[in-house]
Amino acid sequence: MSVTDSATAPPRGGVRRLTTARAVAEGIAQEMERDPRVFVLGEDIGAYGGIFGATGGLLEKFGPGRVRDTPISETAFIGLGIGAAVEGMRPIVELMFADFFGVAMDQIYNHMAKIHYESGGNVRVPMVLMTATGGGYGDAEQHSQCLWGTFAHLPGMKVVVPSNPADAKGLMISAIRDENPVVYMFHKGVMGLPWMAKNPRAIGPVPQSGDEVPIGRAAVAREGTDATVVTLSLSVHHALDVAEQMAEADGISLEVIDLRSLVPLDRQTIMSSVAKTGRLLIVDEDYQSFGVSGEVAATVAETDPGMLRAPVVRVAVPDVPIPYARPLERAVLPGPDRIRDGVHRLLKA
Amino acid sequence: MADVVFPALSEREPEAAGVLSTWFVADGDQVADGQLIGEVMVDKVAGEVIAPMAGRVHLLVTEEAAAHQGEVIATVE
Amino acid sequence: MDDKTRLDLYRVMVLSRTYEEALLREYHADKKPAFDIGAGLLPGEMHLSAGQEPVAAGVCAHLRPDDAVTATHRPHHIAIAHGVDLDKMTAEIFGRQGGLGHGRGGHMHLFDPATHFSCSGIVAEGLPPALGQAFAFQQAGSDRVAAAFTGEGAANQGAFHESLNLAALWGLPVVFIIEDNDWAISVPRSASTAVASNADRAAGYGMPGQRIEDNDVDAVYAAAGDAVTRARAGDGPTLLEIHTLRLWGHFEGDPQAYRPDLAELAGRDPIPAYQARLQKAGILTAELAATIKDEASARVEKAVEFAKSSPAPEPETARDYLFA
Repeated sequence: MSVTDSATAPPRGGVRRLTTARAVAEGIAQEMERDPRVFVLGEDIGAYGGIFGATGGLLEKFGPGRVRDTPISETAFIGLGIGAAVEGMRPIVELMFADFFGVAMDQIYNHMAKIHYESGGNVRVPMVLMTATGGGYGDAEQHSQCLWGTFAHLPGMKVVVPSNPADAKGLMISAIRDENPVVYMFHKGVMGLPWMAKNPRAIGPVPQSGDEVPIGRAAVAREGTDATVVTLSLSVHHALDVAEQMAEADGISLEVIDLRSLVPLDRQTIMSSVAKTGRLLIVDEDYQSFGVSGEVAATVAETDPGMLRAPVVRVAVPDVPIPYARPLERAVLPGPDRIRDGVHRLLKA
Repeated sequence: MADVVFPALSEREPEAAGVLSTWFVADGDQVADGQLIGEVMVDKVAGEVIAPMAGRVHLLVTEEAAAHQGEVIATVE
Repeated sequence: MDDKTRLDLYRVMVLSRTYEEALLREYHADKKPAFDIGAGLLPGEMHLSAGQEPVAAGVCAHLRPDDAVTATHRPHHIAIAHGVDLDKMTAEIFGRQGGLGHGRGGHMHLFDPATHFSCSGIVAEGLPPALGQAFAFQQAGSDRVAAAFTGEGAANQGAFHESLNLAALWGLPVVFIIEDNDWAISVPRSASTAVASNADRAAGYGMPGQRIEDNDVDAVYAAAGDAVTRARAGDGPTLLEIHTLRLWGHFEGDPQAYRPDLAELAGRDPIPAYQARLQKAGILTAELAATIKDEASARVEKAVEFAKSSPAPEPETARDYLFA
């Protein structure tokens, strides 16, 4: 277990801080400098810098040969990334919104994810498929989904979900260097965009160096003793806010685990924490049923359900499309109020 | 000492109103010449705030506060 | 075309047909008395290419081992024409440890890095990766090309249209080859495609297009030569549509009750027709033809033997090769 102090530490003098979006772009830029095989494809990733800022500054630095805007042809350009990776290049392909996977899912799950296995390990597809996820700003059913459970469910692709700027940069570097396809999913709400309400944790210290953050290792974002909160992405920020408030107001000590990766999933860190606290709350902005929260619960249930002193509590989107109207959207997303309520239910049981 | 000025993002309106969206540094931090120290927005356009020299920064505008192009939003000395 | 080239084309087509006949035999041998798709040494679907040999032979004659080829669920003739290792390919089709994919992929998922050959069971979805291989070649400044094979049914899938546009837009060194064998399983072309020829669609995507009739290997060779030359020179993609012939069912076990032309098929078989032409031109004799057939049979039976003697993968290894 390791404490990721970037998510909890107050701003320190003389430490360079960036938004998550800039941290992602910096990670990509450093790898592009280091490795001429790396290139970037996607819609509006060139002059625009990516709709959510993930590729800001890359076109100016590396030119249109290596930073290419594509037509609206996800099947064609994701597939192009696959073929280029097969021939030894290192593509980073942006799928603008994770919600758009439907128009290109065959290339993703039947090709990108399966070619290495189908070929008995003889062909590699070292590409990064990066995509924006998440809601909370009124973008409704088709532009607010998280969907990481869907990608994590299908074998053959790694899935990473950073919550903060330092992890965002380090995981991007790891993803680019990985020999396997990595689906890199960033929540729009953690990007620190100037045009979207942001949690202060969307800005944080980011190392200058190009160090990797390991794929497949969760982080203990906050240590605690009364209950374990397993979560990811923007929900890490909400969970930490609630943890701070409940420590102050109610003397409750919550341990918050930031999963960071879904494939591979760090079951060890989950189990160690639940063994300590005996109570498990899972907060996941994806749809509740048949997904990440169920997988975390199953991890405990099939290892040692006896360590639980109370039933598992899940706070997720209740199997409904994400509605437009703000009161409805607030009601279905796993925000701080629902998390707090979940903690009370967990501790009361 | 040097002024840090809200960058001109709108050419049509030299004193267009916007927002200081993000500070990347805290008041009193050491900054380097050319360091990215903040982000601003005018309408839908985002801009960067760059330190004009090395030194200690003094922030004059809080995050998410309204400000306009040309306004002195910080100083470095 | 010189005599040697035509003889080589004939040899490749005979090898390919001999191979498919052997697989036909092996596939059905242990699925009796009633056809059970999951039974025997070769379970699963089997899509054989008898009748389509001219397309593979005519195109692949212009390709080098370091050119990329993406093929479909009906890949064997293309793999053979492009020079994929026949023993390892057969072992893969038989699901054996010694196969190209150690038995993981089977007949629709053949990958041979040595010849940059791959195939996929999802219609039209082999085109986008071919674009990527072509892109890599272009970026490296080489004259290597990618040949992307697909069917006339696939030409109505989104991936086809997206791929043509992007290939033309970026001037990629790709040759698109449509094998129009008249049937998308049981649906004839007249019920699937709004235009008379997919070659006509090429102009709509900003590239040259040509349709070759009569399953004529010499005509395929000529058209493919132009297209490959164009791609190698950096002049971008071409679309070729070849009217070919599916002699057997869509998959083995397909009763083809929907097909009214079964009786005349034998008369349209391209290999005896080409043999007759070469004999008439004095390039081929009956004796040489017999020798070629014997050599093909020997090669094919050796590959089948190799496959059968390769062990089946161990169940405990089912999760191997998930990640590099």
